[in-house]
Amino acid sequence: MDSLHAIGFYVSSGISLAGALGVALLPRRDQRGAALGLVGLGLAGLYVSLSAGFAALLALLCYLGAAWLIASPQYRSIEGVAGAAWRQMGAVGGAGLLAVLAYSAFRGDLVHAVYYGGEFGATALSRLMFARDAMATEAVAALVLVVLAGATAAWRVRERGR
Amino acid sequence: MSVDLVAVFFVAAGLVAAGAFAAAWRRDLTAALAGVPLMFAGAGVAMVGIERFSAAGGPHLVGQEFAVLLAIAAVALVALGLGVSGGEGSR
Repeated sequence: MDSLHAIGFYVSSGISLAGALGVALLPRRDQRGAALGLVGLGLAGLYVSLSAGFAALLALLCYLGAAWLIASPQYRSIEGVAGAAWRQMGAVGGAGLLAVLAYSAFRGDLVHAVYYGGEFGATALSRLMFARDAMATEAVAALVLVVLAGATAAWRVRERGR
Repeated sequence: MSVDLVAVFFVAAGLVAAGAFAAAWRRDLTAALAGVPLMFAGAGVAMVGIERFSAAGGPHLVGQEFAVLLAIAAVALVALGLGVSGGEGSR
């Protein structure tokens, strides 16, 4: 990996981590949506610097869509039933998870291999998704279909019950 | 300046931990839902990093495929959660 890709990797990782902190900490939903869009932008940069251009394009589209949904003023807020103590414990658990994952990353000494793939990889990735692993792709497509139909049905039932 | 698998794992760990923190700490469940794409992003970064640095014997793009499917699943789960929550002013 040359210096340009390395600089892109570190800049993109900073952008994505800053966006992730924004998603976790910002108070308003439009701010959280913008932060999630920032995460998508940083994630796409990370993927590009790791020679995964096609995955970067799709991840950028998906995360911008998720950011638009999160920033939308049309859904209502639902207050959780967990008390403040449980939420504090969950936050401490998140910090502990970071410590454990950072330790395992520090100790993660996998074999180093030379990368022979291309920078974008759309053709090879499409061949993989629609030929070799077509069942997994169809399972995710079915998940998306069920999710969209279920969300629409739930939304209509709630609106009808108003 | 170089990048190795450990650096990729550190970024992935940060994203996963930030997502878990958001999902556990936010009082509003629809705000906590935004932690799910963060955790999926961390998993995707780790998979692409493994494929980029440690996949011996030719181009194995399973990591990229996994990252793409995770991104699609993330936006689908956000849409499901917000759809189930209902519209503003419905109660």
